[in-house]
Amino acid sequence: MTRNGADVADVVRDTIYRATLLLDDQKWEQWLDLCDDSFHYAIKSFSPEINRDMTYFQGSRKDLATMVKLLPKHNTDHSPLRRHTTVYTVDVADDGKTASAVSSFVVYQNLLDGVNSHIDAGESRLFLVGRYIDTLKLEDDQVRFIKREVRLDNRRLDKGSHWPI
Amino acid sequence: MPAKNHKQWLADPPLQPGEWVDSRVYSDPRIFEDELKNIFRRTWIPVCHESELPNLYDFRTTSIAREPIIVCRGPDNEVRAFLNVCAHRGMIIERRPSGSFLDGQPSGNPKRMTCMFHAWQYDLKGNCVYISREKEGYQDRLCKENVGLRRLRCEVKFGGFVWVSLNDNPIPLEEWCGKPFECLRKSLEAEPLEVFHYHKAIIPTNYKLWHDTNSEFYHDFMHYHNRVTGFNDAYFGRKNESFEHGHVVVGTFEVNYDKYEGFESRAALSFPYLPPNQWYMIDLFPGMNFNLRGSALRCDVVTPLAPDKVMIEFRGLGLKRDTEEERQTRVNHHNSIWGPFGRNLHEDLLGVTGQGATMLPGSEPRRILHGRRENQTIHDENGMRHYYSEWGKWMNRLPRDPAQPYLAPAAADAAE
Repeated sequence: MTRNGADVADVVRDTIYRATLLLDDQKWEQWLDLCDDSFHYAIKSFSPEINRDMTYFQGSRKDLATMVKLLPKHNTDHSPLRRHTTVYTVDVADDGKTASAVSSFVVYQNLLDGVNSHIDAGESRLFLVGRYIDTLKLEDDQVRFIKREVRLDNRRLDKGSHWPI
Repeated sequence: MPAKNHKQWLADPPLQPGEWVDSRVYSDPRIFEDELKNIFRRTWIPVCHESELPNLYDFRTTSIAREPIIVCRGPDNEVRAFLNVCAHRGMIIERRPSGSFLDGQPSGNPKRMTCMFHAWQYDLKGNCVYISREKEGYQDRLCKENVGLRRLRCEVKFGGFVWVSLNDNPIPLEEWCGKPFECLRKSLEAEPLEVFHYHKAIIPTNYKLWHDTNSEFYHDFMHYHNRVTGFNDAYFGRKNESFEHGHVVVGTFEVNYDKYEGFESRAALSFPYLPPNQWYMIDLFPGMNFNLRGSALRCDVVTPLAPDKVMIEFRGLGLKRDTEEERQTRVNHHNSIWGPFGRNLHEDLLGVTGQGATMLPGSEPRRILHGRRENQTIHDENGMRHYYSEWGKWMNRLPRDPAQPYLAPAAADAAE
């Protein structure tokens, strides 16, 4: 990769935004294509109720691939999720091999079949608020996620979700 | 039978009394208010776990039947509960979900519960120990001794859960639910437990519909995970055992977790005295659930907010002595099924939300069937029938016609 630091940061931002669009569009396999084989994903939150950092979900790339493969076998709320992501910082490691990024996100749920569709379908509700804390691997021809921590502010999660956030 | 006309739709089903309830028990605002008064203000509720207040002067806030409550660990290590209400002008005393009174507050001193509004202070036994400008305002007409907090019945029991009652004279806790806990008492009390998971759901449905879902396993047809890891002869042989006061225990069997792709056996981290991959569930009247799947304990507590609105608090627990690696494995086991992004909980919550959508306050009453009989095994609905029999007694209402006073099942049969 012969880019300067600013170029690399742009590529990292672009990869995070591309991941957002793929997740929004439920293109799970294409999202996983942006993830290295060593990828680790976790959804975490700190609970002031129990005064403890919690892991709500975590898995490897293989775990996630299995999970999305089995989604059709599960009943689920099909209300689409739309992520609004803003990349705040990108820090490229001194060796230029990895970068870390912190992004803020909100997730809106556009109701479809979660309650009574006659009344609720079409309404968008704020679903989640949090940050993505990402680590990406930088190689000559590609940028790949090696770690994503989804850090939620929410502890009220109502029906929750079967989908990666 | 083909689809029904209106009269046929509203007719009683060809089942025995007690095998259905009227949907008004889930939707009528007057019934809901009676439930808060007659049931939730009189029973024991496990409001939190002792590990949520591990140190002296730690506190945790909660509520029962609209009454704010504070639980705190005093300097004598005793866990006590009080109404979280200042005796002065009714301000909520502690606004945080948890914390420590070792730190001073802007209006008050360390080691005190301080009402921020006018700086009245209470010790952790609920005694009022400071009234700002006491003599100037009250002279000798009222003093600190007259204005202590409202102390509530509180016990730490059954694996370290903190049980609170708004009733000064409830049925003793051991008598209330000791027998259903027998199946897990050794496992839960062998060593200290610790909460590792908390989240809440506020769902547009009636609280009893959530408890019904925890009480019947027929809905396993909704859960792909349960079908592939469970459906076998041993599964269908699991017993639903009824206990006094409306409680039910669902008996155990060995779950084949590895039948679900990507999941693993939980045998290596079984709770003490629990055979590998066993699964017990205790459903307590009026809406609490203790669910032990081998390596992880789940506890649900409902807080009814309206006829069609309930808050459910979900906790996950492991052993306090867990290594970091053991704890992470337990967390994974818990979350893979029961977490907010797990496979089953989302489906359960979709189910009861869908029921809530058809049973809004003012919607037409209809019959909700609880009539499956399978020798009191897993798909028998005897657990719900047992619950609603108890509910009828506490409410003095007949579940299948809640405008009518309660009749014991035998009397109800004779009156048919």
